[in-house]
Amino acid sequence: MTAAAAPRLPAILGPVRPRPRGRETRLLVLVGITILVGSVSLELAKRVTDPGESAGLSPANPTHLAVYLGLIALAHVALVLSGRRVDQVLLPAVAMLGGISLLLMERLPQTQVQQTVGPWKLGLGDIQLAWLILSFGLATVIAVTVRNDRWLRLYKYTWAAAGVGLLLATYVLGDDINGQRLSLSLGPISGQPAELLKVILVVFLAGYLSEYRPLLVEESTKIGPISLPPLPFLAPMAAMWAIALGLVVVQRDLGAALLFFTVFLFMLYAATGRLGYVVLGILLFLAGSWVMYHLVHTVQTRVDIWLDPFASPTGDGYQVVQALYAFARGGLLGTGLGAGLPTVGGRLPIPAVHTDFPLAALGEELGMVGVMAILGLFLVVVERGLRIAASAADEFRALLAAGLALVIGTQALIIVAGNLKLIPLTGITLPFISYGGSSLLVNGIIVGLLLALSDRGVEPPPPPLPRSRFSRLTGRVTRLETPDAARAPLPPGSGRP
Amino acid sequence: MTGGTGTRSKPLGRTISHVGLALVVAFAGVALGAGYWQVLRSPDLTRAPDNPAVIAAARNVVRGQILDRDGKVLASNRRNADTGEPYRVYADRAFSTVIGYASQDFGNAGLERSWNAELTGLSGGDPIGDLLRKFRADPYDPQKLTLGISSPLQRAAVAGLGDDRGAVVMLDPATGEILALASTPTYDSGAIANPATSHDAFAAVRDSASRPLLTRATQGQYVPGSVFKIVTAIAGLGSGAITASTTFPQQARAERDGLVVSGFRVREHAGVPSRTFDLAGATEWSSNIWYALAGMRTGGDNLAKFAARMGFGGAIPFDLPTVASQATNGDGSAPGGFSDEVELANASYGQAETLVTPLQMALVASTVANDGTLMRPHLVVATAGRDGKRTIAPEQAGVVFSPEDANALTEAMRRAVESDVGRQFTSGADVPGVTVAGKSGTAELGGSGAPHSWFIGFAPADHPRVAIAVIVERGGRGGARAAPLAGDMLALYFKTFGS
Amino acid sequence: MDPFLLTVWIVRLLFLGLLYLFLFRIARALVGDLRSAAREPGAELGRLVVVASPGGEPVEGTSLALDAIATIGRDVNNAIVVDDQFVSAEHAILTFRGRAWYVEDLGSTNGTFVNGSPVEGVVPLGFGDVVQVGQVRLRLERPRPQTRR
Repeated sequence: MTAAAAPRLPAILGPVRPRPRGRETRLLVLVGITILVGSVSLELAKRVTDPGESAGLSPANPTHLAVYLGLIALAHVALVLSGRRVDQVLLPAVAMLGGISLLLMERLPQTQVQQTVGPWKLGLGDIQLAWLILSFGLATVIAVTVRNDRWLRLYKYTWAAAGVGLLLATYVLGDDINGQRLSLSLGPISGQPAELLKVILVVFLAGYLSEYRPLLVEESTKIGPISLPPLPFLAPMAAMWAIALGLVVVQRDLGAALLFFTVFLFMLYAATGRLGYVVLGILLFLAGSWVMYHLVHTVQTRVDIWLDPFASPTGDGYQVVQALYAFARGGLLGTGLGAGLPTVGGRLPIPAVHTDFPLAALGEELGMVGVMAILGLFLVVVERGLRIAASAADEFRALLAAGLALVIGTQALIIVAGNLKLIPLTGITLPFISYGGSSLLVNGIIVGLLLALSDRGVEPPPPPLPRSRFSRLTGRVTRLETPDAARAPLPPGSGRP
Repeated sequence: MTGGTGTRSKPLGRTISHVGLALVVAFAGVALGAGYWQVLRSPDLTRAPDNPAVIAAARNVVRGQILDRDGKVLASNRRNADTGEPYRVYADRAFSTVIGYASQDFGNAGLERSWNAELTGLSGGDPIGDLLRKFRADPYDPQKLTLGISSPLQRAAVAGLGDDRGAVVMLDPATGEILALASTPTYDSGAIANPATSHDAFAAVRDSASRPLLTRATQGQYVPGSVFKIVTAIAGLGSGAITASTTFPQQARAERDGLVVSGFRVREHAGVPSRTFDLAGATEWSSNIWYALAGMRTGGDNLAKFAARMGFGGAIPFDLPTVASQATNGDGSAPGGFSDEVELANASYGQAETLVTPLQMALVASTVANDGTLMRPHLVVATAGRDGKRTIAPEQAGVVFSPEDANALTEAMRRAVESDVGRQFTSGADVPGVTVAGKSGTAELGGSGAPHSWFIGFAPADHPRVAIAVIVERGGRGGARAAPLAGDMLALYFKTFGS
Repeated sequence: MDPFLLTVWIVRLLFLGLLYLFLFRIARALVGDLRSAAREPGAELGRLVVVASPGGEPVEGTSLALDAIATIGRDVNNAIVVDDQFVSAEHAILTFRGRAWYVEDLGSTNGTFVNGSPVEGVVPLGFGDVVQVGQVRLRLERPRPQTRR
């Protein structure tokens, strides 16, 4: 009568049955219409300045538009065919952000980024579209195929080591651009490992925090009036954290450092519910910032620009001032897509508009109303992620989903606040909107994982094992040795009488 | 205690919702930041001079035309064949010192500078208007400016000054409309505006020793000489210190021996008989002694006060930049800022520390002509844009002195031009068929150089329609250059506008 | 106003309007989700509707409220007692973990089927899926909406 008397193969989830996804279909149709209208608006803006041909309403770049909308439709169809019960709002929200990104990259001068691949000469819009295809493709593949999380759950230290190794490799072997070593080249492919590190860090933290959550919550090391988490449990996490932060600061990547730290604090709070940790973290952050300000020249420059960019409107503060001008020109309703960013002598007012300041461009062309909508879209992504977390089957999945959603939300917050001069500017991308392959691919991975985690049909998580206090320190081994027991359902004896 | 899930911990769902709440608050903060820059700070940042939108718009805007009072185009636009950007073309260099230039490389000058906002139509400011503007084909509304200047008068004034440096100002005393505002030497503002020639043209004009960029009519400071006596007369009459019939018994002897003031001897110019004068006599003879006595009786404080009523002591509010005129440099301890009685006596007939601009002297003549009331001078009489036409109404700048006193002074000035005595000093200022009132001036500069030649006046004397001030630098006596040129200008005025 | 520009601006505002329509539609969906999620603790997590029951126990058409764990079998100690000769004493177990239902066969003689497929190991169960034990078919339904507090 006992269940799982003999080891069984993992359950195959039955025959794949297509499952209609009505809400997603309706939302995606709306996304398609919106991006189409935006594309028409972009084309019309060209005609205002250059009333050459006067054909009717047409999209700016029909090929790009068709490819992008086809891509979204394909992702949708794949999800329908897979029959998985994954979240129906996440994909439309991300598809809208990606569509806005495509419109922006088509609108900017194509010469911002140029690359020759084989016989094709690709401009900014073409390259961004290619990355969008890869990103959405990756998200869809992950959403459809990832059906268990053991590979993430059980090897968190391996992941952590891989992340640190990646970061070290970047520092040692990376390409030096403007004194920062952020990208790593492998043959013709180059990427920014810090982007991938975001995901790895979240996986590690989710695994670690879920495992030691009870102890982190229940016990503490008292230092005077402050109660700290139990030291033996915090130590490896702090070490991982210090390594990541140290490397990032050595690489002058302030944006990633700020992002990691914020996500870390959020996850720590989510796992423990102890505000004291957050306060302690903020105090540590402030102390670290003070030291960095006095030690690292880059930090000092960034902070000084932040305090008064108008002190050097043509020097260090140039881009920040120009971004603020762009926001100001947009006003409430904006200039319309393609009608902003006035060029003087053919030069864009903000050189790094496609990577660091996409929101300034959108703020100018779509106005405050548009900025609010884009912020709203990010909030939707965050909300979906946190909802997936809240309804996750166990703590690891909950923390993983929350952490992934927080990466996107926090990163958007940091760069947007930097653009708006609310905090010092740090050079990180606006998720799904900024130009950049690494960023788009990693965000694709995040969306894919969130979708996969949202499926209620994912293999059930192992039930928590009753363990002695000692076994909590070393208990991972036990669990690895008895995977089948771990996957066993609740003992039937506990059923209702 | 060893239970699976932390029994005493908060449920994960709750902490996650706290995190969500924190993010919502942070996003709301960012949204507020967007509102701050995009709504609250939008107006001033959008108009910042280094905002690329402002720079781009200024380079691409087709500026409004500038017309003379008859609708003749003085400034229009042409497009650069290479860049497509428009540039200014000007009809006549006689207007350069008034209109100035609009250049992409060297900025703007003259009316192009002071009326830049209207000419480009980039001025805005009201949010509703800015919102509606977005729905228009041409988002900006460059204004067309109509000037009160009459092209024939302006050209004749520049031609009349010829190679001399100097200025001619003509205006309608009843309205303050400027009819001519000539300054010489002039320059080719079109060459500066044209991108093909601007660098050389600007360098040449900037480095020229004759300083053509100085608009002498409004910025040239000159010793006035006898034309300043009209200011003394206005102050004397206005303060009640003198009347039209005031005579000074000591004048007869002083004409012969000089007037001793605190040990300094004021001397008359040659040819003035040794007798007493009233206001008209003193004016037609241009008696330095009488005016010195009148000025001292009026007092420095009254002289300064009445001069200030006509604009002395500060920049005159005008379409172009102006330089202040002064009765005295004002650092003395005597009343009105004069150093002592000697300076007051000398200033009363326009020597000492007295410095005036041609525009200021034209306003003095205009005040007498307009029964003692000064009208605000202005060049632009109307602006017209897509939103309609706006006429700039005449505006009173202040009542300086009474109409009766103004009539008495008019009679004195009429005799200075029309009488046999006055004619000796103002020869050539009279116009056949029209009675002209005026006063010449010969501004001694010390040294061996020729004096500045001045004339101010108005016509017709009984119902004045035009006031004028003329100065020719180093032009000799007032009757030598300024008075004949004024006569020619007045004759042309009545020929052009009818008598 | 220029008609072409009016068109341009209508398109521009339409784009912004569509962005907000999209957000509005999402917001409505989210509010709906929140409502259905805001259930009282201890409330039912799902219902089993008896689709077919040749033996008469349970009665066809009845709807059985489910707690987190529901065992099905012929034994009277089961949460859902099924009087059918093809059903084992302890036949199958339905468990609600996280936010999803799972069904597992407890080594019954005749097996358990979901939508006609035999159950091997632990199988997730969606609302609307039909579980068959013996000749009895039971459909998993959403919990009845609660009156909000």
